[in-house]
Amino acid sequence: MDLRLSEEQRQLARGAREFLADACPPATVHDAAGPNSLLDRVLWKQCAAVGFLAITVPEAQGGLGLGLLDLVAVVEEAGRALLPLPLLETAVVADVLARYGRTGVHREWLSRIADGDLVAVVVLPGQRLVCDADGAHLFLCLDDAGGLHAVPRDEVRVRRCVTSYGGRRLSTVAGALDATTELGPAPHAGRRLVNATAVANAALLLGICDHLLEATVEHVTVRHQFGRPVGSFQAVKHRLADAHVALETARPSVWAAAHQIDREDADADAASAIAAIAAAHAHQVTNEQALQCHGGMGFAHDNPLHLWLTQGKDVERAYGSVRQHRARLGRALLHPNRTDEEYAR
Amino acid sequence: MDLTPDPVQAAFIDAARHWLADNVPAEPLPPPYTAAGIGSHRAWERRLHEAGYAGMAWPRDYGGAGCGPDLDWLFTTEYVRARGPERINRLGLGLVGPTIIAFGEPWQQQRWLARILDCSELWCQGFSEPEAGSDLAAIRTRATRDGDDYVVNGQKIWTSLATHADWMAAIVRTDPGSRRQRGLTFLLIPMHLPGIEVRPMRQLHGEPGFAEVFFTDVRVPAQNVLGGEGAGWAVATTMLRFERAASVGHPARFLRDVGDLVELVRSVGLDDDPVVADAVAARYAEAHIFARYMEHVLTRRREGESLDASASVAKLYWSELEARIYETALDVVGPLAETADALPGSRAGRDLQRRYWHARASRIYAGTSEVQRNIIAERILGLPREAQWTSG
Repeated sequence: MDLRLSEEQRQLARGAREFLADACPPATVHDAAGPNSLLDRVLWKQCAAVGFLAITVPEAQGGLGLGLLDLVAVVEEAGRALLPLPLLETAVVADVLARYGRTGVHREWLSRIADGDLVAVVVLPGQRLVCDADGAHLFLCLDDAGGLHAVPRDEVRVRRCVTSYGGRRLSTVAGALDATTELGPAPHAGRRLVNATAVANAALLLGICDHLLEATVEHVTVRHQFGRPVGSFQAVKHRLADAHVALETARPSVWAAAHQIDREDADADAASAIAAIAAAHAHQVTNEQALQCHGGMGFAHDNPLHLWLTQGKDVERAYGSVRQHRARLGRALLHPNRTDEEYAR
Repeated sequence: MDLTPDPVQAAFIDAARHWLADNVPAEPLPPPYTAAGIGSHRAWERRLHEAGYAGMAWPRDYGGAGCGPDLDWLFTTEYVRARGPERINRLGLGLVGPTIIAFGEPWQQQRWLARILDCSELWCQGFSEPEAGSDLAAIRTRATRDGDDYVVNGQKIWTSLATHADWMAAIVRTDPGSRRQRGLTFLLIPMHLPGIEVRPMRQLHGEPGFAEVFFTDVRVPAQNVLGGEGAGWAVATTMLRFERAASVGHPARFLRDVGDLVELVRSVGLDDDPVVADAVAARYAEAHIFARYMEHVLTRRREGESLDASASVAKLYWSELEARIYETALDVVGPLAETADALPGSRAGRDLQRRYWHARASRIYAGTSEVQRNIIAERILGLPREAQWTSG
């Protein structure tokens, strides 16, 4: 039994943190937010150059041939920096293509992902909004029956939505999403996409929590009221202790789930739902305490904290809310022999 | 990353499963805090020792198996799954023994450790006093040096197992002019000495369990000091860390309790209720989140990291989780939960009241949830201390 990142994985994460602190400062996040911004192709190429986009691409296609556990170590850092790019989506698409792609076209897509020439996003059943769809070249779509389709940009209609000022770039996606040939055998390929997306998104949330908690600890240490730091009051301490507990306890579940998906473990479905629940809960607690402990200063638009606060709430629900993940778990627990369709009836 | 046991661990698990299947009593033992129950529980602890399952993580030189935290952990997992009896020797094996190993003179280790392992001597913990609960440094019980003895006067309270224990591991004030953490001494007190009066207390749900202990001119040999006169605070805080890390909060317990909760939901016919399903799924996820967290902590401990403050994270998480599990169980059962025999056919329904109140107690003993939050905020997050407050 050994549940922690390897030294190499920790080093990968440290490298990502240093790179992103430089390449993606808060000003970059700020400029990328809002209704009129576009995907930053220069930053995307920089991420490709340091190998982020090659993590889940096989070595034969010019990638690093690593797994989802390596990916989540980097994605947590992307969350900390609030990197405004569909890194996790593209990497997850590469993971699924690498495993279930069969044709030369699929292999070519993988090479282009590793080189930073192809941006891919994920569209799950019932998903209404897709982040960075207008900058994407490829849409990996899961239909209601579990069929998986890789759809190029020119076969879909993308309409950018009006979002809040500091929000992510969200669009609706329409078109014949299931017209193309199915990729891989249902339900395995689709299940891997659902699980990997949930777990990578959970890692992104952990990174957002990392930043929110660190910024808040610093704020309550510096900010004085009644002649002393507000962080010396137990009412404040206990809120931040709760955030720390939720965050620290969530992380090993995210790592374990990534590892279980990599190993095609029979429990990967439940582990992924648990990881998503853990991270979403950690974020609910941390987001709430971060704003509350910043007081009025957290509400000021001049404070870049608002980007993490508002985008975090969006990320929290992007690929299934806590309610949906719990419903999935609850069904498996109370009715282990019923299929999802039987349950729906 | 490897979530499966290695070959040595797998063989150990297999052996433990077989031993437990053959040895765990089919009928539950009588409650431990009764005259009949205490004897059978002590006999059970002795059997565990004879089979090599007591003090497994203790070094070999002290009578343990020297096997590191992993096998101890795995044994508890199997023990909980097999629904083994309550471990009345938990305090001796998990708290007092390791503290004597850390601070004892060789002769002290020889005198006490072997008798902890075979449970021929049972221990209680003399920390809390009427005026020293969460504020442990407010200890008032005095020990005055007189020749080769200390003369002890004062009172302890909330002392679990005091009625049956042979020894108490106590903090006393040896320097009468001292304040707070200074002037405290860790003293091992025989419970049969003249001048000791134990008054059992009944708990809110009617069961016995803890007691008040009064000391009137009790003469304790001075050689029973652990760690030297005046070093009591350092010894006590070490023991508190062992306590927070002790196996009472082992994740196997909560995974088992959540399994029982699923069974309970089925037995009352609420398995198609979406609100119940949501609550059960939440508890199931939380129990697994805690299990993964503790596997991570175990990995880091094995690699030699000191994880003192993480013990507070674990204690806070599991005690709050346990309370939520039983809140959910009470909600599922409804008003029937108030009766002791509401669901006689269901293992999960039996004893629900007792288990519920035990869960509520978990947030209080071994450092309340509020004390744990202070420790986390100050020692991990580095927030400034309050002027009048110290986490010790």
